[in-house]
This record gives sequence, C-alpha cells and structure tokens, in this order.
Amino acid sequence: MANDVQPLNLHTKSIGVKAILLAFSIFMLLLIVGPLIWLAVHAFAVEWIFPSYLPTGWTLEWFRKVFEVSALVSAIKNSLIISPIVVIVSAVICLPAAYASARYNYWGRRTFLIMMFASNAFPKIGLFATIATLYYFLNLMGTIVGVIIVQVLGTIIFMTWIPAAAFAAVPKSLEEAARDAGASKFRVFRTITLRMAMPGILVAMVMSFIYAFDEAQGTYLVGAPSIYTMPTAMYAIVETYPVQVTAVFSILLTIPSVLLIGLARKHIIGGQLAEGFQIK
Amino acid sequence: MSASVTNQVAKESFGSKDSKLSLLGFFMALPPILVLGIFIGLPIGLAFFLSIGYTGGLNEVISIIGQDIRGREGKLFTLQAYKDVIADPRFAGDLKTTLIVSSVATVFVLIFSIGIGLLQRLRGGKLSSVLTALSLTPLFIPVVISSWALYTFYGSAGLYRTIFQSFGLDIPQITSTMLAVIIGSIWTSLPFAILMVTSGFQSIPNALIEAAQDAGASLITIIRTVMLPLALIPIIIVATFTSIGVLGSFTIPFFLGPNQPTMFGVEITNFFTAYNRPQQSVVMAFIVFAAASGIAISYIWANFRSAKESGRV
Amino acid sequence: MRKNKLVSVLAATGLAVATLGFTASTSHAAVFQVRLYVSADTNVENLYLKELIPAFEKAFPNYQVDLSSFDLHGKNDALTLAKIIAATKAKKDAGFDVIDAGFVQQLGLSGYLTIPTTMRVPNLVNVPASLIALSKGGVPYRASTVLLAYNSRVVAAPPKTLDELITWIKANPGRFTYNVPSGGGSGYAFAQTVIDKYLTATEINTLVTEINKPLQAKWKTGFDVLKSLNPYTYGKNGTYPSNNAATLSLIANGSIDMGTVWSDQFLSGLKAGTIPSYWKVAQISGPALTGGPAFFGIPKTSRNGVAAQRFVNWVLSPAAQNIIVGGSLNGYPVIPVTLLSEANQGKFAAGTDISTLRPGYLSSNSTDFKNQWALEVPGK
Repeated sequence: MANDVQPLNLHTKSIGVKAILLAFSIFMLLLIVGPLIWLAVHAFAVEWIFPSYLPTGWTLEWFRKVFEVSALVSAIKNSLIISPIVVIVSAVICLPAAYASARYNYWGRRTFLIMMFASNAFPKIGLFATIATLYYFLNLMGTIVGVIIVQVLGTIIFMTWIPAAAFAAVPKSLEEAARDAGASKFRVFRTITLRMAMPGILVAMVMSFIYAFDEAQGTYLVGAPSIYTMPTAMYAIVETYPVQVTAVFSILLTIPSVLLIGLARKHIIGGQLAEGFQIK
Repeated sequence: MSASVTNQVAKESFGSKDSKLSLLGFFMALPPILVLGIFIGLPIGLAFFLSIGYTGGLNEVISIIGQDIRGREGKLFTLQAYKDVIADPRFAGDLKTTLIVSSVATVFVLIFSIGIGLLQRLRGGKLSSVLTALSLTPLFIPVVISSWALYTFYGSAGLYRTIFQSFGLDIPQITSTMLAVIIGSIWTSLPFAILMVTSGFQSIPNALIEAAQDAGASLITIIRTVMLPLALIPIIIVATFTSIGVLGSFTIPFFLGPNQPTMFGVEITNFFTAYNRPQQSVVMAFIVFAAASGIAISYIWANFRSAKESGRV
Repeated sequence: MRKNKLVSVLAATGLAVATLGFTASTSHAAVFQVRLYVSADTNVENLYLKELIPAFEKAFPNYQVDLSSFDLHGKNDALTLAKIIAATKAKKDAGFDVIDAGFVQQLGLSGYLTIPTTMRVPNLVNVPASLIALSKGGVPYRASTVLLAYNSRVVAAPPKTLDELITWIKANPGRFTYNVPSGGGSGYAFAQTVIDKYLTATEINTLVTEINKPLQAKWKTGFDVLKSLNPYTYGKNGTYPSNNAATLSLIANGSIDMGTVWSDQFLSGLKAGTIPSYWKVAQISGPALTGGPAFFGIPKTSRNGVAAQRFVNWVLSPAAQNIIVGGSLNGYPVIPVTLLSEANQGKFAAGTDISTLRPGYLSSNSTDFKNQWALEVPGK
C-alpha cells in the first residue's frame, strides 16, 4: 500500500537552523553526486593531467571505443537475458514461501527466517573454494544454470521478506468478506490478496533485479571464463582501459537508473521496504 | 502503515498463539530454504571441514592445488590452520581495520540517513526531494564503477587535491588510506539506508507529530521522543545490514584502501587467489562470520524485543 | 488482462531459454575445433581475437578456434586449475584444448599435460632448448619483458643499473612506483629483481626450476631494501597501486615520472595515445628486470589433442611470430630473430637472444614470494 503521507513543513524561525539544514543538504549532495560528476566529465576528456581543472581536450571518441569492445556487448546481452530469468526463478521459489510466512503458522517458521538472514551474513568470498568444489561435483561450473543459481541465492532474502510483509498487510477481513460473498479461494487470492500485495512484490522484484544485474563476485566465480555478465566484464574493462572508458560506463548506467528510480520512487519510498525486514 | 494497524493485522493473521501448525504452509516455505541449504549451507559445511583440516572427499582437489594446507599429517582434525591465521602478523591489523571501518561507516551512515530522512519527513520541499532521489543513484551503479569514481575523485589527481594545488598547497591524497575506505563504504551503503529510514519515518502518522507540536515540544524534543523511537526498527535494520555488509566487503577496500593492513574481504581473496592458500582464506571467512553473527544476534534480539513490546508476539 | 500477462511472461521466458540453448550449442561436425583458454591481459586477448585466430583460420579453413574462455589478470587461475585437475583425474575432457596461463608449469610438473614432440609440432626445433626446459611440458610461444618506463622530459638519462635506480628513487621521493606483486607482473618483476640482487646465480636458478622453501629465507635482505623504499615511492606511505593498469594510469595522469611496466602493454599504450609520447623505456642491469615466455599447455585428456598441436605448431611458425612481434601486441618472439621478417628484425638490437630474458620463479615459489612481500613490505 503506497503511503502518500504529506511531509510536514515544520518551520523553524531560527536562521541558524536553516543555514545548517542548507549546508547539510549541499554537503550530502556533493558527497554523493560529486564523484559521479567528476568521473562523468572524464568521459569526454582526451587527456587530463593533474593539477589542471579541466582536461586538455574534449572528445566523444571514448563512447565509440566502448561499443567496440566485443566482449562487453555479449556480456550486456547475457546480463539482460539472465537477470530477468533470475527474478522469475526467485519469485517462483520464494513467493509461496512469503505467502506461507504471512498467512500460516508452521513448524520452524521463525527459524527459517533467521536462517535466511544468517546465510546472508557469511562472506561469500570465503566460500569460493567450497562453492567451486560443490559446483564441480554437480557439474554446474561454467553453466548458465550455475550462474542463475548463484544470483538467485542473493535475491532470496528480498523475495521472501518484502512480499511476506506485503501479504501480511492485506487485511484478512477483506478476504473473508469476499469468501462469504461466494468467491473461490483462488479468485480471492488473485483479485484481493495478490493485487493489494503487488506493490510490495514489485519492489522486491526491482531490488532482486538490481542485485542480479549487479552481482559480480559469484558470477565471476561460476561463469568465468565462459560466461560473462555485464559487471564481470566491467571488472575486466575497468582494470585495463584508461579511466575515460570507466567514465563512459558510469554515464551509461546512471541515466537509466535515475529514470527507473523516478518511476518506482513512490513505491520504494512508500513504506514497503521497512516493513519487510522485520521478523514478526 | 502505522504501528497500530500492523498490530491488528498481525493479530488477525496469526490469531492466538496456539493456532494450529499448517502442513501446507511448511511445504510452501520449504523451497527457498532447500536452495539456500544446498548451495550455501553445504559449502559452509565443506568450508568448515576444510578449515579444520579435512582434505578428503569433496575437498580433495582444492587440497591438491593449495599450498600450506594443514591436516594432511594423518590426524582427523586439526586447529593448526586457525593457529596459523591468528599468528600471522597481518591478522591483528586486518581485524582492527575491519572492525573500525565497519563501525565508523555504520555510525556515519546512520547519521546521514537519519538526517536526510528527517529532512524529507519534517520539511519536505524541492531540495530534500531532489536529495532523497539523487541519493539512491549509487544503488544502481555496479560497485566496481563506484570504486573507480571514488578513486578518481579522492585520488592524487582528484578534485580536492586539484583545488588545493591551485593555491599552491600539496596535501596528501586520501586514497590508499583507511579514511578512503570509510568514505567509500558510507557512499555505497547510503542508498539502502536512506530507503529504509525514510520508509520508516513515512509510517509515522502526521497526527502524532502535530500533537507533539501543539503540546509545545521543540523540534529536538519531537525528534528525540517521537520520530526516533517509532522508527527504531528500520534504524536498527540499517545498522545491522550496513555493518554486516561493510564487514565482508571487497571492492571498495580493494580499490581505495592501503595494501596492508586491509579489510578481511580483500585478505580472504588475496589468500585464495594470489597466495594460493585456500584453507587459510576459509578460516578467515569463519572468523568474519563469527563477528557478523554477533551483530546478527543482536539484531534478532532487538526484533523480538520490539515485537514483544508492541504485542505482536 | 492478468492471464495475458502470465502468458506473455511465460512466452518470453521460453524464448529466452531457447535462445540460450541455441547460442550455447556448438555443432560443427565437419570442422576441427580447438578450444582455447587464455589467462592474460587485454592486449593478448586482442592479439588472439583480431590477429592470430583470423590468420590461422584463413590458413586452415577446416579449423575453428574458439576463444570464448578468456580470463583477465589470472583472477580465476586457481579455479580453472582445479577444474582441469579434477577432470583429468576423472579421465574426462578438461574443457579446453590449448591453455595459455601462468599455471601451465604447475600442470606440467604434475603430469597433466601432453608433452609435445617434434613429430606433431615440427616447429619446436626453432625454440631454444632452455625455454623448452623451463616450460616443464608446455610449449613457449611468445615472450615479454618488464622494462623501466621514464618521463624523458624529467629524466634526461635513465638509470642503467638497479643501484642507480634506487638512488634515483631516494632522490626523487614520490615519483616512482611499482604495483603490488600479487596484482600484476610488472610490479612483481621489480620486487623479485631487488631480491635477486642478493642471491647467487645458482640460488636464483634453483628457485626458477624447483620448489624450494628453505632458500626463501634468503629473501630477507631484498625485502629489507624494499621496505626501506616505502617513504620514497609514490604516496610516500608504503602503499602501492593494485595492478599493472593502475601503474599505467599513474603514468597517464602525470603522477609519477618512473615506473616498471610490461614492454608490450607500454608500447600498446604509446600507440593508443593513453601514454604521453615523451615517455620511453629502458632496461637496467645488475640484475635486469625479469621477463620470460608465456607457455601453451595441452591437457592430456582434451578431446581435440591433434588439432590442438596443429594450432600450437602454427603459432610457432614465422608467419604467426611475425604477427606477435609486428602486430598490436609488440611482443617478443620465441624463435630466433633471424627467422622473422626484415621489418620485424629491425625492432631488436643486434644479437638479442630471447632465451636470455631473466625468468620469474617457479609458480609455487612466486606465490610464496607474493605472500612474503605482503607480510614484509607494505605499510611498514
């Protein structure tokens, strides 16, 4: 349920407080956006030698060079295919569990939630050796299925906890009223429960997509050297090509993400996220 | 959703404490647990056995390639690998660095996210909306790009050095220091924190704040007695997830931090790939996990405590 | 409306899976396939994708070389090594036919490689025997060396010996650096060279050819020297750039005036314009910076062993070696310079003998070295 709470406009009379608030806002803006802008300018720079404020020359050459890197194009293709699949697989596995966690009481309910949380706490980097061993044993190394599984692992916590809260927030009385009016169980689920929980589920899917799209370490471990997704190719490219190429990437990635945030903003900031991460 | 509605919903969902256990619910909840159990639980188990010196079975191939593997001498289990790691001169420095960076970054993430959340909730306005929206941008940028952006910005050819150089001052670069890692960790943890905290503040009804205002409370008092307590859970969530995340992080400390001492995420990778010592890397992972578990336990305890207080349990 | 959505989602998924399956299949019954695995830097990748593979497939139209497996900076070496060993132990196909990676020596030592013979690889006769001995069952096919890069506008005459270099470093604080040995070969070469100064030729040779832990105690003197350089290298605080590319970017933005670089990466950078034109390279002596060949390895259980040897043989031919020297890589050949084209011969000083490049330590010793460096030098 998106919450359109009107922000209060608490006025303060003191100029000092106003000045502090303004300074704080500007400081945060600089802190967050500064590095991105500084890097973005590099994307158009021929050469930029310290300590000059500006590059020696301007060019669009780097944009062209980026798309010439063939490895990157196929990596982006892989990412765009694999990430949605990961989200769908994760939804199929986790949404029933989310619903169960919200509506049923079953043996080990809280333990399951805690175990999910705990598995996130173990540094995956330390599992390189043994994840590799397990994957060889299961013949998953270097396969797309293996990469999908590795990415699904990290999305489970989003896909279970947030939809669980969304489902729990649907008033049971509404469902009961519909049942009394003669609707079938499935119809009730489809038209009432699912519809009301949909914003929460969408938020979970967006967060999962971002995670899968951005997942580098595990994918590198399992997929390389045969399967590269965008972030893993990016590791390689960023470490090899001059910084201007990285700058081009940052621009290419920031624009769609700002758009996505703009669209989903109402839901994401609307209160779903916090509800999702509690153990009730 | 306000707290009272949540309570009511929770009571309706679960009824009384002795609602019957559902078999269907159990099986619906099983798939993610199974997936996690096989693909993370098993490796953790294998890793544990590798760390205490069991080199047979599935651990065989790794044991052949790795150097300095302890446990081949015929004994069943040995803690020698743990002793090796703790005795290594790098361990103490890495542990200190990891804990300091994690805690300092968490504190500042909390300060900044609460600040922005309060700004958004209490004042609103164009500037704070723009700020809140822009602050989510790092979320979408892969961390390796973020690391380079920060490295370029704070590095030897970065903005603030350039500014000072034009005044003739040659100040040292920030990169390759613990400070840069802290800044970088704050930068990457902020988006999620801001999302959580603003969402938490959103669920506080206007009525409560206005009531406090009418009663004559000052801004500070309102924040202290109304806003913060009601948004306590999201704030604790932020603290937990941020500190656990930074604890095990790799990319930011790799690009921005000093070579030694470094954070455990980097050291674990070094030991595994560069120094070819997989057993020691696994030992370090368990030590980090122990620290992370400590944080996780306090988070779970805080959850149950608050659930009890608000009557949901 | 909802049902249509569901159908379209399912259709999209099905389409995606079908596409994946289609692109993943490799059915080339009438063509000989060679699956290549290369673990190196991007300039080598370009060498293969843009130059060597097209030339080979043109010369042998019924062969197809597949380089979908490229690993940058050897990040995944440990895992690929594990994969090949596991497969070989199980007598299964290892997944690759020809491997170019730093762990080829290790594979050869453990007996997992097909030893090439002059029957299948006739061009082996052109490769110096010392290089073949070094490869431990692999085949050397190109070489590179680490050189000292310097800003000719600032450094009129570059140091000629290691001692002169160290004097220069101390006289010009913050203007020289080398990368972390475990991150890149150019920094590794500098570190090992400093250590080698205090070892005898026999000791160095032992470390290059066999695993020897007790000898590693002799590294202490060299590490103390490296430690003493901490206040004088870039940053002046005992921190070092993380890999080859980081050093090159410090050169590019003018932060340092001298650094150690791979010859091929430097020349490629000059050509591309990312390294300013007034930078030059030089070799030092007493001892010289290390370099050495890259090796091919053919796993014993690879199913295209014969095709693999045909490919390896072609890479040793003058045609391919000319590409390696004259193309984008600017590498060193492993066959005598006299067999190359005239244009390429002019690139080398008279009497250059590739087999005299100073090689790095055997892989186990070098991983121990990287570990020791991290213990002894940074931040001290």
